[in-house]
Amino acid sequence: MAHMPAVVRYSLHESTLDNGLRVIINPDDTVPVVAVNLWYDVGSRDESPGRTGLAHLFEHLMFEGSAQTSAGEHLAAIQGVGGSANATTWFDRTNYFETVPTGALDLALWLEAERLGTLDLTQHNLDNQRDVVMEEKRQRYDNVPYGDVLIHLVELAFPVEHPYGHPTIGSMDDLASATLADAQRFFSTHYAPNNAVLTLVGDVRPDDGFRRVARAFGQLPKAPTAVRAPAVPLPPLTGTPRRRVSAAVPADAVYLIWRLPTRDTPAFDAVEVALAVLGDGQTSRLHRRLVRTDLIAEGAGASATGLIGGTSIGFANARALPGATTERLEAAIVEEVERFIAEGPTEAEVDRVKAQYEREWLGELARFDTRADLFSCYATLHGDPDAVNRRLDEVRALSVDDIGRAAAALLAPENRAVLEYRRATA
Amino acid sequence: MKRPEVSPPQPWTFPAPRSERLDNGLLVHTFHRPGQHLIDATMVIDLPLAAEPAGVEGVSTILNRCLDEGTAGHPGTTFADDLESRGAVLGAGSSYDAAHVSFEVPATRLAEALPLFAEAVLEPTLDEADVRRHVQLRLAEIEQQRAHPAHRGAQAFRGAVVGSGYRASRPTAGTGETVARITTADVRAHHCAHYGPQRATLVLAGDFGDSDPKQLVADSFGRWQRTTAAVPHETPLGDEPRALLIHRAGAVQADVRLGQFGIDRTDSRWPALRLGAFVLGGGFLSRLNRVLREERGYTYGVQLANTPARHGGLLALHASFRTEVAAAAVAEARELIRVDGDRAITAAELNEAVNFLVGVAPLRCATASGLTDQMAALVEAGLPSDFVNTHALDLKRVIADEATSAVAQLMPPERLTLVVVGDADALAGPLSDQGFALEVLTDQR
Repeated sequence: MAHMPAVVRYSLHESTLDNGLRVIINPDDTVPVVAVNLWYDVGSRDESPGRTGLAHLFEHLMFEGSAQTSAGEHLAAIQGVGGSANATTWFDRTNYFETVPTGALDLALWLEAERLGTLDLTQHNLDNQRDVVMEEKRQRYDNVPYGDVLIHLVELAFPVEHPYGHPTIGSMDDLASATLADAQRFFSTHYAPNNAVLTLVGDVRPDDGFRRVARAFGQLPKAPTAVRAPAVPLPPLTGTPRRRVSAAVPADAVYLIWRLPTRDTPAFDAVEVALAVLGDGQTSRLHRRLVRTDLIAEGAGASATGLIGGTSIGFANARALPGATTERLEAAIVEEVERFIAEGPTEAEVDRVKAQYEREWLGELARFDTRADLFSCYATLHGDPDAVNRRLDEVRALSVDDIGRAAAALLAPENRAVLEYRRATA
Repeated sequence: MKRPEVSPPQPWTFPAPRSERLDNGLLVHTFHRPGQHLIDATMVIDLPLAAEPAGVEGVSTILNRCLDEGTAGHPGTTFADDLESRGAVLGAGSSYDAAHVSFEVPATRLAEALPLFAEAVLEPTLDEADVRRHVQLRLAEIEQQRAHPAHRGAQAFRGAVVGSGYRASRPTAGTGETVARITTADVRAHHCAHYGPQRATLVLAGDFGDSDPKQLVADSFGRWQRTTAAVPHETPLGDEPRALLIHRAGAVQADVRLGQFGIDRTDSRWPALRLGAFVLGGGFLSRLNRVLREERGYTYGVQLANTPARHGGLLALHASFRTEVAAAAVAEARELIRVDGDRAITAAELNEAVNFLVGVAPLRCATASGLTDQMAALVEAGLPSDFVNTHALDLKRVIADEATSAVAQLMPPERLTLVVVGDADALAGPLSDQGFALEVLTDQR
């Protein structure tokens, strides 16, 4: 195996406020900047049927003012000190973050505490942001070729009533019917200091950082939060569920989907490497076969999306060059998956994937904001932010046999679902 | 708790690179950044697209894409195998002013991976099969891009506002017609004519530890010997305003651009324009976004963006609006960019804009890749590394009247080009009613 250089370990300091807010600090004074990152343990998996999209719509409402700030002022105030801020919602979480010059750390903490303590939920704000979110859905999902792919993929991979059975953006109908009472209930159920992790990375001393966080958040009360039903892993897909979509796309395309185990388990990690050998980058098997050798695809790839709630998803996909059919693309992918299961990966392939994983991981750690997000992530989903420091070792420890076995157990073609895009003829 | 005071930012300046020239003429800028464990590098080659032979526009892009498809030392796929096994990644692209080949690798593997970067730049094999495949892939990509409303709109806007005849009015990566003509001989000739050390600058940033980056670069790139003649950069001019409506039957949104040909970083109005554009459409509570998103709910977001090139630039408002309100949104946007009379930019607005534009520079330059990207952009524009610092001082000196007048001169509401990609059946009437002399285009499928 190629030599694997030692990596950096980041020093972590942890403390929990009396109200349950978990605080993590990673001091780094290489630039006079601090990243503030707050994860709430709530995502679209916590939405109830008929109320899809609420977690994300709520994230928008979090920018619409508090007792001492007006609508939009949160972002404007951060930009006004030369910082940046945003938030995102995903199946497993909602994160809010600011990156600011050191002297504005208190401002960022105060803004986050303000909205957690005194969010201004009004019918006007709800109506306005509902419109904005609908425009977001139109812009990102409905009005671009293949924009709705994620919607189809989760609907194929999960039963509709499953926490992951609908996309984070939600449905237009559910968005239209969301009420102020829904938003208020969502807030009181999920937004509390004891349901959050706050990470600071950057130019701040740990004792000083803890003091500032306590000053901003310490007076907020602990609250009862929702108890989630234990996640039960789903069995593999059977019967090859298949969906054909006719759409205004420029080329036919095919996606193969598998159910995978919970993220960051040894089996998930192994199958993620297997999918990378199959479909990450120009050295991958699918690229070589479909794009380079058979000349039937303009692109081909495979990857995994790790989720914490019992079941993750894996994909392989290809987009056809003129003259190639989705049947031909699918058959070529299935053949490559079967060959992988039969022969396993080579040492060289596995070493390449690990080396690329290392570079990508170091890239995430290079920036304060993405590094902070990783600490919040591992604290929230896995209970331990220090897992970030062990992550590369875990991936490096995977053997060729582990990876071959995981692929055989999890990527069998008979356990796939299939999504086909056919170019609609005008 | 009361709103906390913000203490002023610590003084920050863009770091001066160590700048050295190898014996063969290659200029090397190095930023040593402790704690940045990924080394990020970009080779900027002074290669304006105006240098492409007329019939084969896009040849620069095909060359870029073939660089990692095999080298003299590592033929065929062995190159990518070797590169990826060292945890490195290589990418290449072209702007209208330069080709840039970027490279990233963990610091621990720089010495073993840098020779591969050099091979890709110096000795790509540019095999027939690879060129033909990349031509096919580019042709497919053109179809993908045409189908994407934002891409289609951006391309049409460029074509409309940059004077026809200039290379900058046409797509960087060529059109279907020109790309289809590109041969292996064209690609090889382009490499031969333009890739040489005297016209190249290498920017590197990261934690080099005890190693000497200049020596490492010399070991890999020192043998690069090829004399290439410099190609003059074109200085494009803007065109007359137009109004284009590109039809997309049944589209639920209209992708809208409103703007014109703009200025570059060397124009004395550049700092004032950047600030004015931020006030109008840069910040979250900019004049445009506050009304069109936060009050009306017409859009997910609207921006007024400045995109400078080496000579001139593009200045455009961009947003997607749902079809039913798109015409009303365009009308309101045209009013919101007016800065006459009591709508002039205020000192308070200007102050927030200065704070943002000056304050984000250290954030953007905090990583090796951020530094490399910033420096490479300066090299490409022909500007020195201290431009970031002099520009910050210039921003702080701008007064509100100057920002107002820069916007008034460069975004005159009645003299702008409108490009809309959307459902013409629904949009043509209401847009015409606003006085736009619409040209409706329908793409062939």
